[in-house]
Amino acid sequence: MGIGAGIVGSILGLGGGIIIVPALTIIFGLPIKNAVAVSTVSIIATSTGAAVAYLRDRITNTRVAIWLEMGTSAGALSGALVAGIMNQRVLYILFGSLLAYSGYGMFKSRNLEKPASLQPDRLAEKLRLGGSYYDKALGHQVEYQVHRTFTGLVLMYFSGIAAGLLGIGAGIFKVPAMDQVMGMPFKASTATSNFMIGVTAASGAVVYFARGDVKPLVAGPVVLGVLLGAIVGAKFMVRMKPAKIRVMFIPLIAYTALEMIYRGVKWW
Amino acid sequence: MVVNEAKPRRKADLTDIELVLALFLRVGSIVAAALMGLGLVDLVIGEAQIAPKVITAGILVLMSTPVMRVVVAAVIFVKEGDWRFALFSLVVLIAVAIGAIVGQ
Repeated sequence: MGIGAGIVGSILGLGGGIIIVPALTIIFGLPIKNAVAVSTVSIIATSTGAAVAYLRDRITNTRVAIWLEMGTSAGALSGALVAGIMNQRVLYILFGSLLAYSGYGMFKSRNLEKPASLQPDRLAEKLRLGGSYYDKALGHQVEYQVHRTFTGLVLMYFSGIAAGLLGIGAGIFKVPAMDQVMGMPFKASTATSNFMIGVTAASGAVVYFARGDVKPLVAGPVVLGVLLGAIVGAKFMVRMKPAKIRVMFIPLIAYTALEMIYRGVKWW
Repeated sequence: MVVNEAKPRRKADLTDIELVLALFLRVGSIVAAALMGLGLVDLVIGEAQIAPKVITAGILVLMSTPVMRVVVAAVIFVKEGDWRFALFSLVVLIAVAIGAIVGQ
């Protein structure tokens, strides 16, 4: 189970919590708080395990990652601070709708192997955010520029809030923000998301660890499995066509969007 | 004799940081995996006292890897004189640290 979650998570740039939390609670009967704690540590495993391959192949854009990490980490902090004040149902509906919208955008561009070439905005030029990598599946170098740099940062702030408040959204918000808004190639988006989620998860994991929610005998096998799965998954991903990865992502984003909206609506 | 490279090389300013971070993350994941694997072996051979401690050590190594990765990146940016990105890394570290403290 851990290996499967690691493979899927590393290819799509997600944490794999969508798989791990239900599996641990429903199949293994673990209390939800322990399942979330294990899942948070697993996000770090997915991120660390896969990042090695993505960094070596230059698919990860480290400059974009560090720029956007400011948004996610500040957002996660704000989310944790205002938790309990905000109405969670409204947030679920809001974030669910946002996901549905970006899922629709992804569906429209599902056949594109790479984004149309675009002009970088001034901020992206100043920060030298453009990148290039050799795509093993397409067999050529992919060069790209980044735009809507500041909008991207703001979106990451909100994705951080979602992560801090609702315990979700490790990667599912980050990938569309980079792919649909900032105009990055899909593979660069998932690899960069994968790289970023480790840092966000680490601050959460410290809290769970200090509370004693991370049970070593449960976490050990799952996290080790996720780590191995992520290493294997990254090897697959570098050889996959961008459009294929996008097609894998779309049902997941649609499912998550519907599930979130449902959670927001069901008590009314 | 000069052999033409099939894969065009990437801009030099980004080359180093990615390879250094890849190496760092690789070491972190190997150490964490080894400790967790060892802990599971301990469990199988009946060392039930030691197993949770060894696994916990592996989890701690894994948890600290991404945070240390930001520190390593910050050091590289400072070395390169890229103060803007060094500052960005510092902002990330501070937010993560406050988050960890406030969360408890």
